[in-house]
Amino acid sequence: MKKIINLTIRNIKVYFSDKGMFLTSLITPAILLILYATFLSNVFQSTFVNAMPKGIELSKKLLNGLVKGQLVASLLSVSCITVAFCSNMLMVQDKVNENIKDLMITPTDKKTLVISYFLASFISTLIVNLFALILCLIYIASSGWFMNLMDVLLIVLNVVILTLFGCVLSSIINSFLSTQGQISVVGTIVSSMYGFIAGAYMPMSQFGAGLRKVLLYLPTTYGTALMKNSVMRGPFRELEKIVPGNIVNSLKKSLDIGLLFNGNVVEASTMYLIVLMTIVVLFAVYVLKSIYYKEV
Amino acid sequence: MEKILEITNVSKSFGKVKAVDNISFNVTKGEMLAYLGVNGAGKSTTISMICGTLKGDSGSIKVCGEDIKKNSNYTKNKIGVVFQNSVLDQTLTVYDNLKYRASLYGITGNKFRERFVTLEKMFDLKEIKNQKVKTLSGGQRRRVDIARAIIHNPEFLILDEPTTGLDPNTRKNIWNIIRYLRKNNGMTVFLTTHYMEETTDADFIIIIDKGKIIAKGSPLDLKNKYAKDIIRIYHINEEDVKKLKLPYRKINDGYKIEIENTTLATDLIVENKEIFKDYEITKGKMDDVFLNATGNRIEDVYEENN
Ligand SMILES: Nc1ncnc2c1ncn2[C@@H]1O[C@H](COP(=O)(O)OP(=O)(O)OP(=O)(O)O)[C@@H](O)[C@H]1O
Ligand SMILES: [Mg+2]
Repeated sequence: MKKIINLTIRNIKVYFSDKGMFLTSLITPAILLILYATFLSNVFQSTFVNAMPKGIELSKKLLNGLVKGQLVASLLSVSCITVAFCSNMLMVQDKVNENIKDLMITPTDKKTLVISYFLASFISTLIVNLFALILCLIYIASSGWFMNLMDVLLIVLNVVILTLFGCVLSSIINSFLSTQGQISVVGTIVSSMYGFIAGAYMPMSQFGAGLRKVLLYLPTTYGTALMKNSVMRGPFRELEKIVPGNIVNSLKKSLDIGLLFNGNVVEASTMYLIVLMTIVVLFAVYVLKSIYYKEV
Repeated sequence: MEKILEITNVSKSFGKVKAVDNISFNVTKGEMLAYLGVNGAGKSTTISMICGTLKGDSGSIKVCGEDIKKNSNYTKNKIGVVFQNSVLDQTLTVYDNLKYRASLYGITGNKFRERFVTLEKMFDLKEIKNQKVKTLSGGQRRRVDIARAIIHNPEFLILDEPTTGLDPNTRKNIWNIIRYLRKNNGMTVFLTTHYMEETTDADFIIIIDKGKIIAKGSPLDLKNKYAKDIIRIYHINEEDVKKLKLPYRKINDGYKIEIENTTLATDLIVENKEIFKDYEITKGKMDDVFLNATGNRIEDVYEENN
């Protein structure tokens, strides 16, 4: 147990002291911020304004709340995954510069190594994302705040769950990598592509029907939806006070907050179940693979 | 005598390359083994198998009497390794590196702090302990590498080219440390090096080539077997040297001849007393042993004037 703790601390320290690894994980959030600054926020603004029935006008504050909510939800749901991938590259980096040899010559079993990488990645990612969350909350609080304590706690819970999800996913994928080239390729692909499949750069409702269908089979989609749900709860509560429910519902649909699977609405509890089950299964696969697969 | 390392019929191939080919040898407690070979001969591969980072294809390896596969936790506690390339965490400090590595041997808290104080003195780490490893000079880093290798006070220290790329003074420092460890801690040492003069301290030398052992024995045995004696005769003229009917070479103030072994040299001198007025005789160097044994005759590479 002491070994796991010490090794985990070592891994976390290495991640935060290696600027290269840390900065790669910020690619997606950076892309998102640029997209929002240049045009996405305008797009969302007009989406909300146009969806309003005649005669109803959104207050500046509510509009801010809705648009900022979109940005924050996308940002958090994406960075939980990409930061996890990058912090978990440590296990590949250790192979590349052969530091793993120095760990393997000690009387430490593989399970300990594997679990320490996982824990370290989880904690590092959580630290980064909770920090990001604080910045996001400050940003929303500046104008457009409609959240209550419950909403904030739900967001925190979702950050934790998505981080876990990112960690198991990256643990499995990264455990197949062993060269610097692979680190760059996978790191860059995940960092730039994940925003697309998670519907962060644009809502999935803008995608073709085929692609939408495929995405509905990915657990990541439900993770993102959960995050959007929790961030947008406050502003939507406010919106429901002034516009009819059917308009709110169609807005939710177009923003991937309410998901339809074969025409049925997917409940939040079902989404949690899907994501949590995926986490458990992937984690089991990861540990078993690391123990029985002959390479470390 | 207690055997620290027993290697029996060990082989390892990478695809078609037989990196280690059916090797067997033992190392006795307290001994220093010099394990030599040209680049790519299989030295590091042998080491990787001993310390358990690489699985051999066949054969068995025992450390302190225990099989490295059956009782790896035991043998890993007995072995300390200085790798050919530094494998410390570059972005962490010297202190953190030692701390986290120590914890993997179960050395934590006060036990670690005590151990660190000892190592700090032994390796002169005071000035650099809070420095990141990547900022250390080559010599400083090697000192930390060795400190890391013996953090758990192992019985058996493996050094893979510990002094490559270091200046002569730093090399001397590293060697003082190795000698100290042998003398005071009775450590058994397994050394690979490309500096032949470093092997004079060795009790035993093994030379491998393409994964096979091609020569082994004490430095003296090997010199007798693989290196010719050299006689330098001073202040004579060329006609006299020609009388010896042996190949010769001009050097400062005289001539130099090579001769198979010391007995023959004695005979030659006794038979030609009138020529041998002022002379000296030396045994061949380990460089010659190495070059002759590995079949790499690169004559005239060395300055012949001395
Ligand atoms: N992981 C590996 N994959 C493929 N081939 C390898 C691997 N490790 C070593 N080899 C090959 O095995 C042979 C022996 O390599 P090794 O590193 O043991 O040599 P060495 O004696 O340590 O050489 P040097 O003095 O240059 O360090 C070489 O031909 C090398 O290319
Ligand atoms: Mg080598």
